[in-house]
Amino acid sequence: MLPRKRFVEAEVEDEVADAGLRKKTRSDCLISSASRAAAAEEGNHSGSANGMDMECDANGSNPPEIDEDLHSRQLAVYGRETMRRLFASNVLISGLNGLGAEIAKNLVLAGVKSVTLHDEGNVDMWDLSSNFFFSEGDVGENRALACVQKLQELNNAVIISTLTETLSKEHLSNFQAVVFTDISLEKAIEYDDYCRSQLPPIAFIKSEVRGLFGSVFCDFGPDFTVFDVDGEEPHTGIIASISNDNPALVSCVDDERLEFQDGDLVVFSEVHGMTELNDGKPRKVKNARPYSFTLEEDTTQFGAYTKGGIVTQVKQPKVLQFKSLRDALRDPGDFLLSDFSKFDRPPLLHLAFQALDKFRHDLGRFPVAGSEDDVQKLIALGVHINESLGDGKLEQIDKKLLHHFSHGSRAILNPMAAMFGGIVGQEVVKACSGKFHPLFQFFYFDSVESLPTEPLEPSDLKPMNCRYDAQISVFGSKLQKKLEEAKIFMVGSGALGCEFLKNLALMGVCCSQKGKLTITDDDVIEKSNLSRQFLFRDWNIGQAKSTVAASAAMAINPALHIEALQNRASPETENVFDDAFWESLDAVINALDNVTARMYIDSRCLYFQKPLLESGTLGAKCNTQMVIPHLTENYGASRDPPEKQAPMCTVHSFPHNIDHCLTWARSEFEGLLEKTPNEVNTFLSNPSAYASAMKSAGDAQARDLLERVLECLDRDRCETFQDCISWARLKFEDYFSNRVKQLTFTFPEDSATSTGAPFWSAPKRFPRPLQFSSSDPSHLHFVMAAAILRAETFGIPIPDWAKNPKKLADAVDAVIVPDFLPKTGVKIVTDEKATSLSAASIDDAAVINDLIAKLEECAKKLPPGFRMNPIQFEKDDDTNYHMDFIAGLANMRARNYSIPEVDKLKAKFIAGRIIPAIATSTAMATGLVCLELYKVLAGGHKLEDYRNTFANLALPLFSMAEPVPPKTIKHRDMSWTVWDRWIIKGDLTLRELLRWLEDRGLNAYSISCGTSLLYNSMFPRHKDRMDKKVVDVAKEVAKVEVPPYRRHLDVVVACEDDEDNDIDIPLISIYSP
Amino acid sequence: MSSPSKRREMDLMKLMMSDYRVEMVNDGMQEFYVYFHGPNESLYQGGVWRVRVELPDAYPYKSPSIGFVNKIYHPNVDEMSGSVCLDVINQTWSPMFDLVNVFEVFLPQLLLYPNPSDPLNGEAAALMMRDRPAYEQKVKEYCEKYAKPEDAGAPKEDISSDEELSEDEYDSSDEAVVGKPDP
Repeated sequence: MLPRKRFVEAEVEDEVADAGLRKKTRSDCLISSASRAAAAEEGNHSGSANGMDMECDANGSNPPEIDEDLHSRQLAVYGRETMRRLFASNVLISGLNGLGAEIAKNLVLAGVKSVTLHDEGNVDMWDLSSNFFFSEGDVGENRALACVQKLQELNNAVIISTLTETLSKEHLSNFQAVVFTDISLEKAIEYDDYCRSQLPPIAFIKSEVRGLFGSVFCDFGPDFTVFDVDGEEPHTGIIASISNDNPALVSCVDDERLEFQDGDLVVFSEVHGMTELNDGKPRKVKNARPYSFTLEEDTTQFGAYTKGGIVTQVKQPKVLQFKSLRDALRDPGDFLLSDFSKFDRPPLLHLAFQALDKFRHDLGRFPVAGSEDDVQKLIALGVHINESLGDGKLEQIDKKLLHHFSHGSRAILNPMAAMFGGIVGQEVVKACSGKFHPLFQFFYFDSVESLPTEPLEPSDLKPMNCRYDAQISVFGSKLQKKLEEAKIFMVGSGALGCEFLKNLALMGVCCSQKGKLTITDDDVIEKSNLSRQFLFRDWNIGQAKSTVAASAAMAINPALHIEALQNRASPETENVFDDAFWESLDAVINALDNVTARMYIDSRCLYFQKPLLESGTLGAKCNTQMVIPHLTENYGASRDPPEKQAPMCTVHSFPHNIDHCLTWARSEFEGLLEKTPNEVNTFLSNPSAYASAMKSAGDAQARDLLERVLECLDRDRCETFQDCISWARLKFEDYFSNRVKQLTFTFPEDSATSTGAPFWSAPKRFPRPLQFSSSDPSHLHFVMAAAILRAETFGIPIPDWAKNPKKLADAVDAVIVPDFLPKTGVKIVTDEKATSLSAASIDDAAVINDLIAKLEECAKKLPPGFRMNPIQFEKDDDTNYHMDFIAGLANMRARNYSIPEVDKLKAKFIAGRIIPAIATSTAMATGLVCLELYKVLAGGHKLEDYRNTFANLALPLFSMAEPVPPKTIKHRDMSWTVWDRWIIKGDLTLRELLRWLEDRGLNAYSISCGTSLLYNSMFPRHKDRMDKKVVDVAKEVAKVEVPPYRRHLDVVVACEDDEDNDIDIPLISIYSP
Repeated sequence: MSSPSKRREMDLMKLMMSDYRVEMVNDGMQEFYVYFHGPNESLYQGGVWRVRVELPDAYPYKSPSIGFVNKIYHPNVDEMSGSVCLDVINQTWSPMFDLVNVFEVFLPQLLLYPNPSDPLNGEAAALMMRDRPAYEQKVKEYCEKYAKPEDAGAPKEDISSDEELSEDEYDSSDEAVVGKPDP
């Protein structure tokens, strides 16, 4: 598939040719430097603060169009404006070690305008531990040159160039942001000073990962504007009342809690009575409460509030004054903390990184792993720097920590690179766009808990001249061997999965014949995956994710021993992932995108007592959770509340926001285009069976279904495209005019409830019918989409003129639309007969018989073999008219209720439940998980060594904590957790099982297997089962047989102790002999 | 609160301990029927409804789905599908609630105090607001016509022709009637 941005594509072709030469001169930067000059001139224009400007092209062409199919998931995080700013940004990455490679990958996927790679050094064996672009054949080549081609494959729209000469300050002037991953402090200070002095300033980021330690420093200049500090949608509220007071009290309806905070600014709209507030002026919130707040405004002289009104938060830009690196080194201010159990660590690491810089400056090399001598030198340098700090000096220096720091300092580990690559990538996006709050200014992190619990011998850390040398220098060759021989099951190979595969390949996990990585995913690659699932290319679209990902991972490390399957992980595939498979595993990694599958894998890990490494992302947020047998609680032990759903009546007749309209639109889409055509086909494939099924159901639902089927085959049957247009036009009339007229006839604007309160009060909005006009493009577009989809269900070819607005308008205007008369059943209350049952509810059975007769009559007139084509909603195809129809339905309904309409993209996000996703947070999550994987595979770690993380790169926030231990239940002298299972040997009867429990002081009242009840003490009928074998009852009732590979059956028992307290006992496995 | 894995068992048990008549289909715990009597002092007194209860996989974190099988005339119950629009069993459901709450408190409250401001059956709501006597009469007529004990309780003749039933005794409906007989 070709990118849409034609002119960019042409540019790219040139660039690829250049990349082929593997040498770029500065000429490639001329375009961007010219644009920077232009941007600087326009610096005062609105929207171009921080030197960011959409008009990026020197030749004055329009800003590039966003490829929405490719970037939809990322657009859902950033929005169009931020994406446009990204497309205009030129970024320098200096230092193409593993960290540099991760940052470059994230930025190229995000779609900046250009990335320039700078490195003067050559690839060596140690780079293979973390830079996934390198293979052993690249050793000895320049690092930047060795990356460029593979990086370009990730996104053709980004210009990628290289710089292999010594960097000078002048080079920097071509960029909006510069990133250094391996630079001396002296140079860093010089460059940072230069970047700050530019107009507009160039964002400067310095980041390092050294063994299990990492650091980031950001300086976006003395005066940086953040447009959106958190990336959250502005909060809103529906007003119930406003007082005439100083300050005024604003109360909102109690449908949803307000999320305003004191100091927030808000604007008002649609307020009746107190119309002075509708002036669009932002006003300040004070005393924010769940359903009310006070407003900093004297409303005593304003009109009295009558009804209506919406209050909306106005997001405020924030200006940050960054310190220079020179000043911040001496006076670092508050460090961003990630782990409260290590609150005193950041100042120490601040010192340690400076000591390391001095060490490298003095000796021209890194400390050697295992060298006690080098450790002492580093500590001495640290002590010396500390002494020079005066008031700010540390009381105590943790020498043990510096010990670890010294040993691992030369190594760039993949998990650390992945984590910091995510963080730094996000900071660059912030620098280029002003979206999200920047890291202010230092962040330090360590994961020393990842080291094996036993002390490492220096001899174990010696390089072996292999691609894992860096990792061996930190963890030793014993753990390296364990990693290579691990047996791991990874579930899913989407966004998280691709990142994990890269990490595992680099770490050497499952990279020997004894090791085995099994991955499974039943999904195929789509275009929208490509903006972050970086192992896939556009020529892979339509292929199985797991297979493509596996071969891409093997290209990173050919030793990876991997099997790729396409099975969905669910109870249906337990013949594939059977007991023997599960028992062979060392660990399970979840790379899933839904809770159901996560719950299922969790239950399997519990059952087979396997460690589960769980993670997930949502936009800029990510979380990781370690589930370790007997040490931690399981994934399912704590849950998020289920997603909120709008009440049925609201969606039905009283929408008050666009979500309600879209929910309704989706359900109408499904009803009209999928369910009814399916129902029609069910009838046609076996009319007599269908008729008898409907007769036997005999209820209102059956009647409703029959009416729909008949409508489709009789009155509304379409044979030509003109029929489809008529149908679409009449649907418009029905939905947006007749139904509204009926509703407002039943409930006129002034209707009151029994208490006299107005019926149409907030949050309900009074609807008004639409008057169709073929000159209204949105009306016409609706009819077009509806007619085209209708034609598809009837297999009618779509004529070319269908897409010509003029001809379509003529066709629509030819449709005869009958006048609407509201049903008056409820109004004529004086007439006894009208309100009695006669009209509304004639016997369903009689109606059903009548409908069936009509239907059978009508089926005779159909061409032989006639079937409809049901349409399943597919959100990601921009040409299928599905989203056009849904957005049309939702927006026309929104227009009925004066709700603000949305564009097709926004409609797609909401109706398609598109989960916002970006590469940065995904990469970071997998890095964090792999830091835990070292612990899991080494074994012997205690609970306090493990970490669960919640992070939000938008704020930024990192919150790491020890996992929660499992709940222990005690009964008599027994105790157990969720990880335990009780095993009973013998082919017991139900009575014997109850007896067994009774002997332990447990009175069972209910025994079940799967979702079937085997025994319940209240059902008299179940008494008959008492003397049957449990296994036989399961066979008869639950239809569960002990599978051939198993000798036991699991039952869930609910019981009480002798004091009638419920006791939550483990699963019971009954082993038949 | 006890383990969620055993909540279905516990809820079912508590319902029966509270003398509700529960009808299981093939001993499945995901979907069953409960017989619900119109509350005393309400327009629905004397009516009996067979109420379908569906417990989703995520129960009790996710709310049960509740539907009237035989017809009821009520502003907040869809006349066609029998589905109920009630915040406590939809939006504001909490895992602390159980099925006894649904049948002892939520449904009786709904039948005693309909909320015509958020109607699912617009016609019933409009009638209730405008002409109370006519509304009350219609509610009672519906009860009379559709919610006599035999309307709810009598097993449908059609089921007996159901092929599955003939073979296996466990495929038949299980009914536990404890204490209170049908009025």
